[in-house]
Amino acid sequence: MSTAPVLEVQGLVKHFPILGGLLQRRVGEVRAVDGVSFSIARGETLGLVGESGCGKSTIGKVVLKLIEPTAGRILLGGEDVSSLKPGAMWAHRRRIQTIFQDPYSALNPRLPSGTLVGEPLENFGLARGAELGERVAKLFERVGLRPDAMRKFAHEFSGGQRQRLGIAKALSVNPDLIVADEPVSALDVSVQAQVLNLLIDLQEEYGLAYLFISHDLAVMRHISHRIAVMYLGRIVELTTKRALFEGHLHPYTEALLSAATAPDPARRKRRRRIVQGDVPSPAKPPPGCHFHTRCPYAIAECRTLAPPLIEVAPGHHVACHRRPVGGGPHPLSTTV
Amino acid sequence: MSVDAVPVLQVRDLRTYFNTLDGVVRAVDGVTFDVGRGETLGIVGESGCGKSVTALSILRLIPPETGRIVGGSIRFDGRELVGLDEAEMKSLRGHRISMIFQEPMTSLNPVLTVGTQIAENVVRHLGVSWRQGLDRAREMLELVRIADAARRLDEYPHQLSGGMRQRVMIAIALSCEPRVLIADEPTTALDVTIQAQILDLMLELKEKLGTAIVLITHDLGVIAETAERVVVMYAGRKVEEASVSSLFAQPMHPYTRGLMRAIPRLDIEADTAGRRPRLQEIPGLVPILTRPIPGCAFADRCGFATDRCRAERPPSVEVRPGHEVACWETARVAEAA
Repeated sequence: MSTAPVLEVQGLVKHFPILGGLLQRRVGEVRAVDGVSFSIARGETLGLVGESGCGKSTIGKVVLKLIEPTAGRILLGGEDVSSLKPGAMWAHRRRIQTIFQDPYSALNPRLPSGTLVGEPLENFGLARGAELGERVAKLFERVGLRPDAMRKFAHEFSGGQRQRLGIAKALSVNPDLIVADEPVSALDVSVQAQVLNLLIDLQEEYGLAYLFISHDLAVMRHISHRIAVMYLGRIVELTTKRALFEGHLHPYTEALLSAATAPDPARRKRRRRIVQGDVPSPAKPPPGCHFHTRCPYAIAECRTLAPPLIEVAPGHHVACHRRPVGGGPHPLSTTV
Repeated sequence: MSVDAVPVLQVRDLRTYFNTLDGVVRAVDGVTFDVGRGETLGIVGESGCGKSVTALSILRLIPPETGRIVGGSIRFDGRELVGLDEAEMKSLRGHRISMIFQEPMTSLNPVLTVGTQIAENVVRHLGVSWRQGLDRAREMLELVRIADAARRLDEYPHQLSGGMRQRVMIAIALSCEPRVLIADEPTTALDVTIQAQILDLMLELKEKLGTAIVLITHDLGVIAETAERVVVMYAGRKVEEASVSSLFAQPMHPYTRGLMRAIPRLDIEADTAGRRPRLQEIPGLVPILTRPIPGCAFADRCGFATDRCRAERPPSVEVRPGHEVACWETARVAEAA
C-alpha cells in the first residue's frame, strides 16, 4: 500500500467569471477558492468549516473534478489528476465518491432504489447479474436498510433513509475518499445521530477518508480528526480537532466558536465576543487579510498584506500576522 | 393575582387539523401553554411536531382550504382569538402580535423599498401620516442597528444581505411595539456569526420594549441560550414544559432526553482515548399523524413504554415546581437518570 495521502491539494484556486454588458464580457471574478492546500490520510476525516460563500463547497466540487480548477494541483494517492481530461479521469472516479446534502435531489425518482445503489457497480463493470443483486443487498444491510427495500422508490423513504441510500451508493465501489457536503444538515437531530454514527462506523471498518464539509461546528467536533476553517476562499486555520477547540489561534475561529450555540444554559452567562458586520462579497474581498474588516485585533499590516498559512506549532497552521511561530494561544489584545 | 401575573397569551388544548388526501393530519393535537408578559418562551421539536402550526394558529393564519382550528382556546390579553372575525384579527396582526419567519426574502415584498414596507405597517395600525410612518421606519432601522438607516430606507430587499433582511423583518414586526413577537426559526437560514447578532438583537429589543417572544426552533442550542421557559413538542403534542435551567439540568421526558443525547456537542470534548464515541440514536421514526394515536405518541420509540403508554394518552403533570411532563413512567425514567 502506498503511503501517499489519499488526497492532496496544492495551491488550489477557483475563480468564477462574472459576465456583464451586452456582449457578456468578463467584468470581474468571484474568487471562490483562493490558494488552498491540504492533505487527507487514509482513514482520516478532514472537516472543512466556514460560513456561506467561504468556498468550502467549491473545494468539494473541484476535488471531485465536477468543475475544473483555475490553478493548483489535485493528487489522488500521489497521482496528479488536476489536468486529466474527463475520459482519463474516469478511471480515477471510482476512488473518490460523494454524498450530498439533499439525497432526494440526487436520487433518480424513476428507478427502484436497488438499481440506483447498484449503478456505480455496473458503471465501473465491477459486478453484474446475480452478483450485482447480492452485493447491493449486502450494501443495503450494511447501511441499515432492509434488503426488501431494494424494490422501493426514492419517494417511499424518509430523509434519513434516503441519506443511507446515498451512502450505500457511494460505498458500493470501495472508494478511498468520500466527499460529504453537509450530509446531515437537512436531517432532524434524532436521524442526524443515526447517520453520523453510520459514517464513523463505515470509516473505521473500511479505512475510508472523508472530506467533510459543514457549517456546523458541533458536528465537526464530533466527526473530524482535523479541521480547516475557511474564510472568503482561504484557509485561516488548520489543525487537529482538539487544538482547534481548546487552543485555536485565529481571530475568525474565535468568532465562530463564540457565536455558536450549545445546549447548555450556563454558557449564556459567559460574555460572548460577537463579531460584527457581514461577510464581504467574494467578488470584492478586502485586501490583505480578508478578515481584517471584522477583526478586533487587526493591525496596519493586516490591511495590506495577506498573511500566509504557516505552521506555528507542530500540525497547527494559522494565517494571522498576530500569531507568530511559537506564539502560543494567549489572548490577543485589541490595542497594539 | 396581580395584573402583571396574568399571561399575555394563554393557549388551551389547541387542536389544528389539516385535510389531506391521506386523511386528517392532527398537526396540533391538544397543546396547552402560557406566555407571560415580556417572557421568552421557546418551543422546540423536530420537523412535523406542530411547532410552526401552533404559531400560525395563534395568528389565525391556517389556510382555510386545507386546515382549521377544530378545538381549544387562544386568549390574547384575555380576549378569545379562536372565532374572532377576520377584520379584528387583521387589526391585531403586525400590531399587537407580530411574527417573523425563517426566510426573510420570502416574507418581504421584492418590489417595495424597505422604508415603504415598515411605514405601511405603522400607518395602517397607528393611523399616522405617511411622513410620520417613514420617520418611524428610519427610527426602527436604527433600533435594529442597520448602519446608514436613512439611505437604507430607499433600498430593496435584494440589495441587503440575509442578516440585514432579517433585521428589516424584525423592524417591521416591532414597529408598532407588539405585546407578543412570534419568531419561527428566525436564525436557521443565517450563518452562525450572523445568527449570534440577530439573537442578541432580539433579546435586547425584548428588554427595551417589553415584548414577549415565542421562539420556535429545532435547535436546542438556540433554546438554551435565549429562552426562559421551554415547551418540547412531539407529534403535535406537548411532551414537556419547564424553565430552561430545569429542562437542561433534568430533562424528564424520554423524548427530551433522547434529543439531548442525540446532538453532537460543541462544548464537550467528544473523544475518549482518541476514539470518537457514538451518539445515542432515537430508534424508529415519528408516527404518521393521519392515524389516531390513542396512547403516548412517543411510545413506539420509547425504551420505557408499557401497554398503558400505548393505550392511554398521558396527561401533562407537574413533577417539580414549574416542570411538567406528559409521561406515565416518570418515576422509572427519573430513576434511570
